[in-house]
Amino acid sequence: MAGKGGAAPSTYSPSPTTQKTKSRIFGNDDVDWVRSDGREFHQCRPAFFKTGAVNAAAGSAYAEFGNTKVIVSVFGPRESKKAMMYSDIGRLNCNVSYTTFATPVRGQGSDHKEFSSMLHKALEGAIILETFPKTTVDVFALVLESGGSDLPVVISCASLALADAGIMMYDLVTSVSVSGLGKNLVIDPILEEESYQDGSLMLTCMPSRYEVTQLTITGEWSTPKINEGMQICLDACSKLAAVMRACLKGPDSTLEE
Amino acid sequence: MVLPDASGDVLSEMDVDAFRRLFPLRFFETHLVKSTRPDGRSLAEARETSSALGAVASADGSALVKIGSTRMLAAIKMEVMTPSKESPDEGCIAIDFHMPPICSPTVRPGRPAEAAPVVSKQLSDTISSCGMINLKELSLISRKAAWMAYLDIYCLDADGALFDAALLSAVAAFSHLQIPVVSMNDDGKVVVLSGDHGGKEPVNKGKRKLTLSSIPFSLTCLLHKNYILADPTAEEESVMETLVTVVLDSSGQLVSLYKPGGPVLAYTSAIQDCVALTRQRARELQTILDEVTSSMEVD
Amino acid sequence: MEIDRLDGRTPNQLRPLACSRNVLNRAHGSASWCQGDTKVLVAVYGPKAGTKKNENPEKACIEIIWKPKTGQSGKLEREYEMILKRTLQSICILTLNPNTTTSVIIQVVNDDGALLPCAINAACAALVDAGIPLKHLAVAICCCLAESGYVVLDPSKLEEQKMKAFAYLVFPNSVLSILPEEQLQVGGEPVEHGIITSVTQGAMSVDDYLHCLERGRAATAKMSAFLRKSLQPQLPIDSSKAG
Repeated sequence: MAGKGGAAPSTYSPSPTTQKTKSRIFGNDDVDWVRSDGREFHQCRPAFFKTGAVNAAAGSAYAEFGNTKVIVSVFGPRESKKAMMYSDIGRLNCNVSYTTFATPVRGQGSDHKEFSSMLHKALEGAIILETFPKTTVDVFALVLESGGSDLPVVISCASLALADAGIMMYDLVTSVSVSGLGKNLVIDPILEEESYQDGSLMLTCMPSRYEVTQLTITGEWSTPKINEGMQICLDACSKLAAVMRACLKGPDSTLEE
Repeated sequence: MVLPDASGDVLSEMDVDAFRRLFPLRFFETHLVKSTRPDGRSLAEARETSSALGAVASADGSALVKIGSTRMLAAIKMEVMTPSKESPDEGCIAIDFHMPPICSPTVRPGRPAEAAPVVSKQLSDTISSCGMINLKELSLISRKAAWMAYLDIYCLDADGALFDAALLSAVAAFSHLQIPVVSMNDDGKVVVLSGDHGGKEPVNKGKRKLTLSSIPFSLTCLLHKNYILADPTAEEESVMETLVTVVLDSSGQLVSLYKPGGPVLAYTSAIQDCVALTRQRARELQTILDEVTSSMEVD
Repeated sequence: MEIDRLDGRTPNQLRPLACSRNVLNRAHGSASWCQGDTKVLVAVYGPKAGTKKNENPEKACIEIIWKPKTGQSGKLEREYEMILKRTLQSICILTLNPNTTTSVIIQVVNDDGALLPCAINAACAALVDAGIPLKHLAVAICCCLAESGYVVLDPSKLEEQKMKAFAYLVFPNSVLSILPEEQLQVGGEPVEHGIITSVTQGAMSVDDYLHCLERGRAATAKMSAFLRKSLQPQLPIDSSKAG
């Protein structure tokens, strides 16, 4: 604290928190609304990836999807914690944290405690853990700015960082989510859309092998809706993988989807 | 860690990288006698420095600063508070420096880095003692409402001279800060005015920028024997441990001279050399800052 | 030119010093140090086996725990811990007991200005009491700069708050040696003029800082004489070298 010592006074953000006007757009009956950033329902935001964002790390990547900005660093394989038991296969350790200014209101990013374990589950199946026995690979993510679909961006970015670090994987892991808003499914939702969604579906897969590593569904979904959502996600995942592969291959990493 | 000369033959056959890891001090000293450093810089030369404003859209002011590989992201969020009784016409600044686990292999989640609270404290002290910001400008309505400026600085990549980069990013973020136009609503709360003002009178018309008087600039130097190395990298800091950080403001006043211990004693001549290097560096940083702020005004 | 000090001291006058060693029974070494109403109690435990993670096991490690008078420790205490750690590391011979940890616990008893220098002096006395191998002692002083550019030494809390700027300085103590004086000089300056630690707050001109240095050096000569005197009775044999 600069200036004065003692306890910090309580503060509040002056930005309006109630957005009554917005919810009207996503009305259940109205099918013809436009997404606030002008995208089609099944159109992802332009994706930007860059590897080697952090010099201090063994591998790292930066991802930017619209306003969602994420950095992932990979450290290791390095010595496991002393308390850990002997293990024939390597360990994966994941952590996701938010900057205090990531969210519109300061310091709300700590609500996402489950993201670390979800990142772990999404990546675990793709990494060939047998290649680094007795050691640990650390995957740390920092969400610089939260603009919606944070976890899918973190997962895709993490797999790119792992590839940059030279960790053996069966395939790149890509992840995309869809939000159910009334009758419609919108892909790659922004923060505003996520806050009004009736349900969400996040799919994480290895596109070249056509294998799913993680599928998370919240809210009420009918079976045909789930099928439709999964198909949209799988399709987007394979396109995303092409962008990521291009980033790994060449210096020209600015490809739009 | 100086080896006897007999092992010279072994060393000459050794791979450079292996030598650097095994005998880091000797590796650096062989460079120092030639007045150069492993990254090709001369001893008094700082690394390439750049800055970009407005990197964080969700903040009221933000800046990204790079010094070599060290990168800092600073962002300011303005919130409203009730000013304290002792100073009813003043706002407040809260500075926090974070070292997330992504920035360095030595930081693990759940165990905050030792250096982080120390740098936070140093930054708060420096910014308050150089008087860069007039806290009265952060007042909204006397005794009722004032701004609390939360400045959070994240180290994205740690490669030495963390304080220098953090201070530069803090200054750049303040120069980018756009205070939102607000008005008092019926509940006595301060709210941001949207485009059409809604019939309300803004309480802070024409006070959207802070005047920054006497901007602080810093340079960290490493003392080793009689050598003074400006702007050390993380590797240099870990091998040669004596650091001196000098902060000068734009009028040439000494804001801070910080030397926390270290095996090398600083004599008056070394102190004067460090101050002279900082003076030179302050001019460089001022130019960099002027360039980014003026390019922003054009937009 | 003279400015009046609240307690009637002259600008160069220090508050009465008091140092007692071996004040705690269970600690391996302990000392209390008073400068006027500022009092700090220090306990030293160790060297204990093993170092913490991220420390160099080829050297002895020093761990500092700063206990404020009341409340929890925050950023200020973290900073003091770091400064003390680096300062003590520079005076200890770390290569003698590799892969050990020495804990230094600082308990603030009363803060009436110049707290950090007082703690450094106390820690030094406690390290000697615990028999930790040292290269030399360190003496710490606080120099305050008044609005008028006048320097006062060893301020009380009230004076500290009124001043424009202050500097905490730590110097090595003066060495008693049989070597001729020229051999003890570094670049034309005696060893005890080298700064171990410098922490400043508030803006001042560079010349003012150099002036503070000069005054601080002069005052620490007296303090190091006091420190030596208070350590001597229990070190009758080595007094000439340990100094």
